[in-house]
Amino acid sequence: MKNKLIYLDNAATTFPKPPAVAAAVDECIRTFCGNSSRGSNPLALKSAEKIFECRCLLADTFFCLPENVVFTYNTTYALNMALKGIMKGGGHILISNMEHNATLRPIANLQRDGLIEYDTFEAYGKTDTEIIQDIDRKKRPDTRAVCCLHTSNICSYTLPIEKIGKYCHDAGLLFICDGAQSGGHIPIDMKKCNIDILCLPAHKGLYGIQGCGVMLLGEGVSPDTVIEGGNGVNSLDYFMGDDPPEKYEAGTLSTPAIVGLCEGLKFLNSKKASEIQAHTKKLFSHAKTLLEGIPNVTIHDATPGSVLIFNINGIPCDEVGELLSLAGICVRTGYHCSPLAHKALGTYGTGGVRISFGVFNTLSHIELLSSLTEDISNRKLRL
Amino acid sequence: MTDYSGSLSGRSCTAYIGSTTLAMKAQRVLAAHAIASSVTKINSSRTRRGCAYGVNFDCAQQSNVKAILARENISVKEFL
Repeated sequence: MKNKLIYLDNAATTFPKPPAVAAAVDECIRTFCGNSSRGSNPLALKSAEKIFECRCLLADTFFCLPENVVFTYNTTYALNMALKGIMKGGGHILISNMEHNATLRPIANLQRDGLIEYDTFEAYGKTDTEIIQDIDRKKRPDTRAVCCLHTSNICSYTLPIEKIGKYCHDAGLLFICDGAQSGGHIPIDMKKCNIDILCLPAHKGLYGIQGCGVMLLGEGVSPDTVIEGGNGVNSLDYFMGDDPPEKYEAGTLSTPAIVGLCEGLKFLNSKKASEIQAHTKKLFSHAKTLLEGIPNVTIHDATPGSVLIFNINGIPCDEVGELLSLAGICVRTGYHCSPLAHKALGTYGTGGVRISFGVFNTLSHIELLSSLTEDISNRKLRL
Repeated sequence: MTDYSGSLSGRSCTAYIGSTTLAMKAQRVLAAHAIASSVTKINSSRTRRGCAYGVNFDCAQQSNVKAILARENISVKEFL
């Protein structure tokens, strides 16, 4: 048992956070955490200013308007708001065969309730042209939108969102993108990619804390509301109003989490995106090389990036995860809330051991993981 | 905390905008044009719809404020 934990579960939540994020959250809680957009007392206004600063940073980073930055509580909330808001009137939607349950479950529930219909298009292991052809083949006269993730959460496979966005734009379909795993890792330009709605978490690649996500709207995109309540504006009206973002922000926002996200964005902006990508790809490459050299280890997807999934043949992934955990290495095993993606990768029957990298991981972390994996494979370590 | 309010000299007018976010955007846009303003909660008795926000600015700048906010697609419900 090691005294110091090595954290390789950054696809779930990045850890540790940059010190500036922790300091900003601490300062917020201690000195100004009033309720934004509720009254005009100094703390409410200071909170509102900090939240607006974060909207502006997100707008600059992802190329949208600050008033189209809608704060939610995580990506799942953002995707539910986007999908249910867009599909409220019924119709057909296409999702990829790599989607996380954050997209699959709301869509499957809407179909079960007879409100919409959906189909999946083949994304994994296909060329960009084949992906677009499959979307085109499955599009129906009543198809209203395409929703897909940018990068998978079980491997680093990445979809060609610029090409999918262009197809949607030309075909008159709305394009909803789940950037949960790519935000902060890969630059995303909503305008260039014709993304109508982009959903992101604060607590993963943007290095904020848990409790905040965002739904970024393209210009003129206006899903129906899914959650209604107080938003501090036009309190005498029975309805939410028409202006984003408050139209979608019912209830009190998590000011500390938004302040943390703001610092996380500043931290990222202080680095070059290409440097972050190069760092994670270097970690990936090192892990792949070392793990491939261990007998009985199978790596399930070779796309370089911040996530790698493997199994040790003959040893259940959860047992591997528990042994690594006992040795002080944090990974995630099982199905990662992504049954579709596991089907696509051929790991639906087994699940897998997922390791995922962040900016604070080093090559020595990978070497220790590899060494322990070899011990598990050789049965030197067992439960 | 960024202070765009500067000092408002002379008589203060108010652009009634609506949401806090758009009021803050208006304040930034005006600051970029060297017009000092401050975000304010509009007196509920003036809005007839309950809570709303706007920006205070020097009345001498009203025509500039009107033009700048219109150019930025920030809709002003009423100048008070």
